[in-house]
Amino acid sequence: MSESTRSALDRARDGLIERLDGLSGRQTAGLAAGAVVLVAFVAAGLARPASLAGELLDIATSESAFGAALRLSVPIALAALGGIFAEKSGVINIGLEGLLIIAAFGAVWGTDITGSILLGFALGVIASTLLAGLFAVVCIEFRADQIIAGLAVWLIALGLAPFASQVVYGGPNTDSVGTVPTLPEVLWFLPTAEQIPTSFGVPVVGGLVGFVLDVLLEASLSVYLMLLMVVASWYLLNRTAFGRWVRASGENPSALDTAGVNVSRVRYAAVLLSGVFAGMGGAALSLGLGQFTGNGPTMVNGKGFIAIVAYLFGNYNPVGAFLSTFLFAGLDALQLTLQTRGTGIPDSLVRIVPFVTVIVVLALVGRTRIPEAAGEHYESGEE
Amino acid sequence: MSEGGGDGAEGGGEDRADPNGIADGSSDRETAGASGDPGEGPVPGPSGDAAPPMDRARRALDRLASASATERFLLSFAALVLSIAVGTVLVLAAGRATTCETAAFVLTHPTPFGLPRLFSMGFCFDPVAVFDRLFFGALGDPFKRGWGPLSPFRGGPLNPFREGYELLNPQMAVTLRETTILVFSGLAVAVAFRAGIFNIGTQGQLVLGALGTGLSVLWAAPFVPAGMAGTVVLVTLGLLVGAVVGGLYGAIPGALKAYAEANEVITTIMLNFVATGVAFFLVANYFRNPDSQAVETTPVPDYANVPPLLFEPRDDFSFIALGLGAALVVGVYYLLEQTSFGYDVRTSGLQPDAAEYGGVNAERTVVYSMALSGALGGIGGAIYVLMILGKFQTGVPAYGFDGITVSILAGNNPLGVGFAAFLFGTLKSGSTVVQFATDVPPQLVGVLRGLIILFVAMPEFFRMLARGIGPTADPERRAVAADGSGAVDTGGETDE
Repeated sequence: MSESTRSALDRARDGLIERLDGLSGRQTAGLAAGAVVLVAFVAAGLARPASLAGELLDIATSESAFGAALRLSVPIALAALGGIFAEKSGVINIGLEGLLIIAAFGAVWGTDITGSILLGFALGVIASTLLAGLFAVVCIEFRADQIIAGLAVWLIALGLAPFASQVVYGGPNTDSVGTVPTLPEVLWFLPTAEQIPTSFGVPVVGGLVGFVLDVLLEASLSVYLMLLMVVASWYLLNRTAFGRWVRASGENPSALDTAGVNVSRVRYAAVLLSGVFAGMGGAALSLGLGQFTGNGPTMVNGKGFIAIVAYLFGNYNPVGAFLSTFLFAGLDALQLTLQTRGTGIPDSLVRIVPFVTVIVVLALVGRTRIPEAAGEHYESGEE
Repeated sequence: MSEGGGDGAEGGGEDRADPNGIADGSSDRETAGASGDPGEGPVPGPSGDAAPPMDRARRALDRLASASATERFLLSFAALVLSIAVGTVLVLAAGRATTCETAAFVLTHPTPFGLPRLFSMGFCFDPVAVFDRLFFGALGDPFKRGWGPLSPFRGGPLNPFREGYELLNPQMAVTLRETTILVFSGLAVAVAFRAGIFNIGTQGQLVLGALGTGLSVLWAAPFVPAGMAGTVVLVTLGLLVGAVVGGLYGAIPGALKAYAEANEVITTIMLNFVATGVAFFLVANYFRNPDSQAVETTPVPDYANVPPLLFEPRDDFSFIALGLGAALVVGVYYLLEQTSFGYDVRTSGLQPDAAEYGGVNAERTVVYSMALSGALGGIGGAIYVLMILGKFQTGVPAYGFDGITVSILAGNNPLGVGFAAFLFGTLKSGSTVVQFATDVPPQLVGVLRGLIILFVAMPEFFRMLARGIGPTADPERRAVAADGSGAVDTGGETDE
């Protein structure tokens, strides 16, 4: 082991210890309880494969559930990335749900009129960005209460998308259009999931490689976009000047102002960026199915709010937000698979599991440290 | 705004904070502390032993309160007008997007002196007709065709009402029915808001309250004789159960906020989904009406419905329920403004830290106000079951979310909730008339709802509009205007 690797490992260990020290008693208890439940569940599943725990374990480790979890993560994770930028800059964007809705409709409608999925996707992103721009003007220029304005963004989109669908398609659901392709569908030289061997003849490791390849080859391009954006936004937030400005604008706007950076402009950029990210999420959601359904809470159905929980739980770290999203989406995938397999558990109850999980997680994690100046209007002193 | 208004806005910061409340509260605390009984409960209302300067300050604050109430009303009105303006654009745009045989509305210009027609554009939807249907259709068409406020001066008839118009018509019943439920859900949101809690979970509390009411009345009905006595017993039982179930369900996010610091906006939204899921599960698996296709319970007996007064039973509206709503409006107003509990609630909402230093048990206040909020929502659900539906059915309309709109439009004032509820009751009732008469999708009302909230959230926009200066005006002009309008707008209020 080289010297540099050793010191890196030391740093990592120190960081982990610091992180654990920072946890409160309740959080530690919560984490411990969660770990115990997980271990007990896995042990029970392995010991008695025929039991409910065994079946759940089987589903949770299946390729289809894993792929479904990735697919369901896309809109939530992308919206969460957007939420991170907005809130880090000091504007709490509770209207992510609305941005997802408007983008989901815009993308399907755009695909329908242009005939191109790429253009439709772009139109969805544009629609969401425009709405985010309206939200930004209202919050930054007119000093609106961010929570109420965000709520208004949600309600406007919740009315506007089904309204538009009713006008254009004569019902709250749109016509069907094409869906986002998978990698082998775009790049003809790649093999499909069926064409590659499952374990390459190597035990354990080969099976694992086969599992990952299968999931990746069957995933739509949206999944790749999401993974790319998670990395990109981590880099943007933590390694660039813009990221520094965004963080300063949320923590100490007057210092940023003193340093000669226009706080309003940074916040505008961050909120618009949240519109772009949420737009990608909404477009990926509706174009994943090829249709927008606008009954009741629409097809978005609370994903924007779960995204908020995901980034709070991930402590404003894009990677952390993605991991917690994957957890919620995994639960959702689990219940979808349970429904199709018919395990005797009523699906109306299983459906609420992700929501209950969010509440339990929030109760255990409690107050996450939100940026110092989030929710507050910043007034530059200069005239 | 008065001179004090500028100061209040400076100190209070955002528009949500009612400057009167803050100052009022802290001055009360000071007098209580000075008179040497810090352990006593809060002393609300005008206290007799206050020094003359206190009185003067209080009078000034009263003036300010009425000024801010007027401003509040103007703001709500302006938001409504602006929403209708944006809605008009939306209706026109939708009219361009659809295809029709003949244009319902043509936008053009007058052509005097034989000028050529340069511009003419047809639309499938006529916005005037849409908003006419939305507002007057909801009241059952009270006015004569073509009647306007100037008609009598042009030799028209003096009496505006259409021949054969009855105030108590079926469409009016729909309007009042929606108004009644919105009074309850609006009050529910307003109570929580005043305590500084954003209760988005009124929908879930209303759903479970409705379910509790339906099930308890169904359970008790066999033991109760039919007739008036049975009605009294069953309706009272239903309302009580609705209030208790809604209150308990509302107390959950309250306790999570108070003791686990979980953000109530998120938890209440999640609990809405949970409530809908649980209600569906219970009804679908245990209490389902076997003779029905829908997921619903068996209907409650006729004598368990709130008895209709003046209206026909098939109109599904009762003045008794509306009267209960009005009584609760007054009751909640009294509770918030005149009792020590209400005082605790208001101070925790405005200045949580100050309230805690003043001896308010912050955690308990949060839980109690959320329970009260949930109970009001639960009563709304009970009325929905016992007045409108006569059974519990899954897929309860979004009264809880409309309650947020009602409360925000009313400035979280219980007395304002009554008016705001009637406005939204009219809009909801009118949306069906609009759809029937003009083919404009009823979701238009949903968009209007969002727009109204958006505009109410930005009073600064209307202030700028009122000053006649756009947000991008150069600072010099603005400074002059600010000076011209007195000490209202100090340099700190203008931006950039």
